[in-house]
Amino acid sequence: MLKEIFSAEMLRLMGAGLLETLYMTAVSSAAAYAIGLVIGVVLVIGREDGIRPMPRLCRLLGWIVNFVRSAPFLIFVVFVMPVTRFITGTTLGATAMLVPLTLGGAPFIARMVESSLREVDAGVIEAAQSMGAGAWQLVTRVLLPEARPSLISGAAISVTTILSYSALAGFLGGGGLGAIATNYGYYRGNSQIMLVMIVALVLLVQLVQTVGGYLARRADRRIK
Amino acid sequence: MSEKAEKSIIKIRGLSKTFRGAGGEVQALTDVDLDIREGEIFGIIGLSGAGKSTLVRCINLLERPSAGSVEVDGREMTALTRAELPEARRGIGMIFQGFNLLMQRTAEENIRFPLEIAGVRRSEARARARELLELVGLSERAQAYPAQLSGGQRQRVAIARALAARPRVLLCDEATSALDPTTTQSILELIREINRSMGVTVVVITHEMRVIEQICHRVAIIDRSRICELGTPDEVFIRPQSEAGRRLLYPGGEPPQSAGACGAALRLAFDGEITDKPIIAGMVLATGAPVNILYASTRVIDGRTYGQTVLRLPADGAAERRMLAYLEAEGVTYQLLEEGSFDA
Repeated sequence: MLKEIFSAEMLRLMGAGLLETLYMTAVSSAAAYAIGLVIGVVLVIGREDGIRPMPRLCRLLGWIVNFVRSAPFLIFVVFVMPVTRFITGTTLGATAMLVPLTLGGAPFIARMVESSLREVDAGVIEAAQSMGAGAWQLVTRVLLPEARPSLISGAAISVTTILSYSALAGFLGGGGLGAIATNYGYYRGNSQIMLVMIVALVLLVQLVQTVGGYLARRADRRIK
Repeated sequence: MSEKAEKSIIKIRGLSKTFRGAGGEVQALTDVDLDIREGEIFGIIGLSGAGKSTLVRCINLLERPSAGSVEVDGREMTALTRAELPEARRGIGMIFQGFNLLMQRTAEENIRFPLEIAGVRRSEARARARELLELVGLSERAQAYPAQLSGGQRQRVAIARALAARPRVLLCDEATSALDPTTTQSILELIREINRSMGVTVVVITHEMRVIEQICHRVAIIDRSRICELGTPDEVFIRPQSEAGRRLLYPGGEPPQSAGACGAALRLAFDGEITDKPIIAGMVLATGAPVNILYASTRVIDGRTYGQTVLRLPADGAAERRMLAYLEAEGVTYQLLEEGSFDA
């Protein structure tokens, strides 16, 4: 049995799956973070009592974020398939999955960023304002640097969420470990393969969390 | 205060501020007029909720006035555009009760912050930060993070930061309220020193009388959103004209007025200079004459006495003179609140 699971062919398949998962997670996390960071910043500074009030834009973004966040990811993948096809030309494979992963992950990241930035002491922002900092300087020199440890922890959680989305995407023709789990574990009823995939995903999540926690602690100057 | 101190650096006219909250409107300031002279240390005292913090925050427009004008160094603050405001704020330093340092930056990086946002060159900013660290006595802690500093050291960094861009005005919003008495003392001395050596006009917001007594040239009492009394600390604290002034001076109720022949009323102020020796009992024993304690609110912290006591001296000129001489010899600060009414 073990021989069958860990045959040369199977190992090659798993190795390729792992690389695909890492590829999907890394690229879509980076893209989703870029979008989510901007939305998160706007959600904080654009509030009615924020440093650059933009209540209309803020409400619109809040509504979009809630909409995407409330849709189950599998349904969301189907929902954005026209967009996926428009951008990548297909809806199958790892690269096609980058589109729903990015669009689905960005609102989650926006909320993570928003909550990290809200933790920054209002007094510190006020002090910077009293020294003549403008909105852009407040964001780049006060909000983001002061929230850095919390942003790093949030980023680690976001990456693990996108990682689990990417496994889910295996059901809808995405690649990676999720696809192997679906095709070999689920459709062929091979529970050993399923177990190996689960263990691999758990290890990946643990790795990301541990590294993220370490980086966040190292970045924090409040405790020494 | 120097002689040329007649010019007002801060002119406030008809200033009102109304906050709209869930529970309706709150009037924080009502028609406030105030002139703060160049080079002075001006105190604003009031109980919490009186509006003093709102008043100081209207000076650098952290709070936008609902009505009225605020002129700082010849510039009408309320008329500035969003683009002009940051530049004007650079001329006004501010320190806070909670220090409000950037927690992810070292002491030196905190002091460089206002210079960075003003676009000052890095080498120049670094030199200025070093200079200020020396001024506030923290040269050795330049690379420490705020979390590694004590409250007093944090406030020193905050003061250095507030002065980095060479402001002409320094606003202090309850800057010593979170500090212990000994540290408060050293921070107040630093503020006085800065006022003297750099000529920076200082506006001090506090609810503590001794802060005003120790460093302020003039003081305004603010009560229920209005300025109700203005003058030198001596004028205001010895004979408060307003009810708010009397409440500040005697939080536990006013000392009773005596009828008929009676001795002088004397207020002793303890500012931590005196260690906990029994001054009043010592005075009574040394002079052989009794006193009546009309009011006392003192506490001993770290072996030092803070607070005040109001005494009624005997209706006897000779005893009174002996007592005053005793107090002077002991180095106790006192004020004659009421002359005695008796035949000397």
